[in-house]
Amino acid sequence: MLYALMGLGLSLITGILNIPNFAHGALFALGAYFLASTLHVVGNFWLALVLAPVGVAVLGLAIEYAGIRPLYRAGHDYQLLFTFGLSLILSEGIIVVWGPIGFSQLPPPILRGGLDLGFTFYPKYRLFVMVMAGLLVLGTWLFLEKTRYGAIMRAGIEDKEMVSLLGIDIHRLFTAAFALGAYLAGIAGALTAPIRGLSPGMGVDMLGIAFVVVALGGLGNLLGAIAAGLLIGVAQSIVALYWTEASVAVIFAVMAAVLLVRPQGLFGIR
Amino acid sequence: MSRAWLAVFAAVILLPLAVRHALASEIWIFAIFGLGLNLLLGYTGLLSFGQSTFFGSAGYVSGYLLKHYGINVFAALGIGVLVGAVSAALVGYLCVQRSGLYFIMLTFALNQMFYFIAYQWTTVTGGEDGMPGIGRPVLLGVDFRQPLAYYIFVALLFLVSLWVMKRIVESPLGKILQAIRENEVRAQAVGYDGARLKLLAFVIGGAFSGLAGVLYAMLFGIVPLEAIGFVFSGNVVFATLIGGSGSLYGPIIGSFVFIWLSESVSVVWARWPLLLGVAFVIVVIFFRGGCVEAWARFWSWRERRRMATRLAS
Amino acid sequence: MALLRTENVTKAFGALTAVNGVSLEVEAGSLHSIIGPNGAGKTTLFNLFTGQLTPTSGRIVFDGRDITGTPSHRVAHLGIARSFQRTNVFPALSLLDNVWIAAFARRGSWRGFAWRRADRYPEVTERALAALRDVGLQDRANQLAREISHGEQRQLELAIALAAAPRLLLLDEPAAGLSPDETQRMVALVRGLKGRYTIVLIEHKMDIIMGVSDRVSVMHFGSLIAEGTPAEIQRNADVRRAYLGGVVVE
Repeated sequence: MLYALMGLGLSLITGILNIPNFAHGALFALGAYFLASTLHVVGNFWLALVLAPVGVAVLGLAIEYAGIRPLYRAGHDYQLLFTFGLSLILSEGIIVVWGPIGFSQLPPPILRGGLDLGFTFYPKYRLFVMVMAGLLVLGTWLFLEKTRYGAIMRAGIEDKEMVSLLGIDIHRLFTAAFALGAYLAGIAGALTAPIRGLSPGMGVDMLGIAFVVVALGGLGNLLGAIAAGLLIGVAQSIVALYWTEASVAVIFAVMAAVLLVRPQGLFGIR
Repeated sequence: MSRAWLAVFAAVILLPLAVRHALASEIWIFAIFGLGLNLLLGYTGLLSFGQSTFFGSAGYVSGYLLKHYGINVFAALGIGVLVGAVSAALVGYLCVQRSGLYFIMLTFALNQMFYFIAYQWTTVTGGEDGMPGIGRPVLLGVDFRQPLAYYIFVALLFLVSLWVMKRIVESPLGKILQAIRENEVRAQAVGYDGARLKLLAFVIGGAFSGLAGVLYAMLFGIVPLEAIGFVFSGNVVFATLIGGSGSLYGPIIGSFVFIWLSESVSVVWARWPLLLGVAFVIVVIFFRGGCVEAWARFWSWRERRRMATRLAS
Repeated sequence: MALLRTENVTKAFGALTAVNGVSLEVEAGSLHSIIGPNGAGKTTLFNLFTGQLTPTSGRIVFDGRDITGTPSHRVAHLGIARSFQRTNVFPALSLLDNVWIAAFARRGSWRGFAWRRADRYPEVTERALAALRDVGLQDRANQLAREISHGEQRQLELAIALAAAPRLLLLDEPAAGLSPDETQRMVALVRGLKGRYTIVLIEHKMDIIMGVSDRVSVMHFGSLIAEGTPAEIQRNADVRRAYLGGVVVE
């Protein structure tokens, strides 16, 4: 489910801005770290959960405005390289601020412990994350499908020229899309924190998976990204039951196999 | 033209006098790596973010054979180049069919796959700890464990690599790849199979990366996990850009800058990659042509000023 | 003998039929023009010839061989060269390199192409220079394509097609975007090529093609509505109607 969230955010950014956002993983990590710090300050998990992703989104806004937009004329390659450089800055920045050693984060008291599902004990927090992520995906989906602004975004993926001809400020669209993508990454990170703990490297691992999700789901295909994210998440869980070590590598192998047969991904149109 | 070669020769001879031999070797190794990438990036216009796949794979395979089977140096090099080329063929085959965005994402994602395989296959690769214990065999009585001897070996291989790359870019293939970069549709219309030729460029780049990988493994005696990782791929892109992707010699300059930066700053601050990121961003925003272009711009600016003062007087 | 022949070629993009059952023949050595208002499907037809698109139905026969659906990078090797309506050159390369690449592709053997120095192929360089000379750009051979004027780029566009020493030359609006003077020069250039190549010319300005064409086909909304000599076409009422508001020479 989390993969779907990450995939959705990245697919949005990639589809609209036409650049693979290398900093997406770092934004994910920042979401987690922001959560930890905000929690430290306000003491309330729920408040922190709300605030942290917003912080990431604001950062995303700043990044787009100050970094990506000025490079618009230079071309996609340079915008992409910018996000790469940024990912370095952010990852190292995390170490500077929070130290190189990871730490763990406990879920809020009511979500601790497990739920007796009859056949197995399932951690309450994980259940919460699944539900929460699902709601977010659904919410974003509804936003994109049903609201006017969402429609503009989807149109932006399809045909940027048309959108700007219709009088919509294409640059503001880019900024908004990036901020939304950043928000999704941020909240994914914030939600993950109590599950896997925090470490500076968590961003890079997630980045690879997010790329796979987007590649499989078809660039710019939002529904595809969601589906691919779910697929991969499920596949990984299943493989992990039998062959834990290979579970991550398998994801990539699956992607390679799929792309051999269908270069446009599972759901891509081109 | 030959001025550039003189400069290179001078650098090769003088460098070991200025810095310690291992560092000098590292610079040339990285330059070889950069040359391979630049065929893709500068000439063909393919931003490959996964070159460390071939670098690391070659390092692991050759390192393993060196360690456990004691093969000789030339076999190690040959195998490294082969592994680099073959892995590039596999990865390239999947990637060149897609263009632009997809291509970049795929090179990255496949790089990650190799990384995770290396991470998990601890029995062979050592996982996070890397593969240590790689020796430098003795060849024809020359003991490569001597830093200077190894340096000369590496420097010679670098010169050979540079010469090979020079031949390639001055050949019709060099022009064809540039044509593909400039206008792939037209290149196809004129009779060139874009996908096949891009794959060829990929394989050549992979071969160079493989060579660099083996030399790296022998230099440090270990193949660290990072050698097949994302950051390493980014490093070579950075070095190539900062040197200037528009010229054959750009990656060489970039290698100097990068290695010097990383060596000198890393002792001061463990978080030096942050500076690297900042430098990267600055290059991207202001110095896209890298040092080579900055130099050319500076030169022409000087010319214009000289002209202006001459006209004025 | 018809060098190029299409048999009921159709190209549909979903509900839009861009080319509708076009059958025409181009005689070897002739200059055959295809005209029609913008959007008539002329460039799409060219794209079908050169493999950028595959026909939905119908056949394309070149020199007796069915070439329907041949991919674009193989079409050049059949002896078909094409220039594009929107200038499609290699901006960062020199003029000489621009044509050199086209000339090299058609070299019988590519042996050593990744190794031998490019200047060790004198015949290729000679053919490239000849192509530049044909269009009058030989003095600018070392300038970069992006540095020359638009009109000169259109000439380069033509030269790249010529450098391939084709048997069939497909020219898509070579005079697009040119000033009246430049247009005159382009027309003269094309006239000079007559006889040496079989030429199919796309234009939408009637007056350009009148003086050079042996035969004219008129397309409208994807279909061929008329075909004949320039004089016949001028008198054709259907053509006049299609060109409502267009230039018609009385």
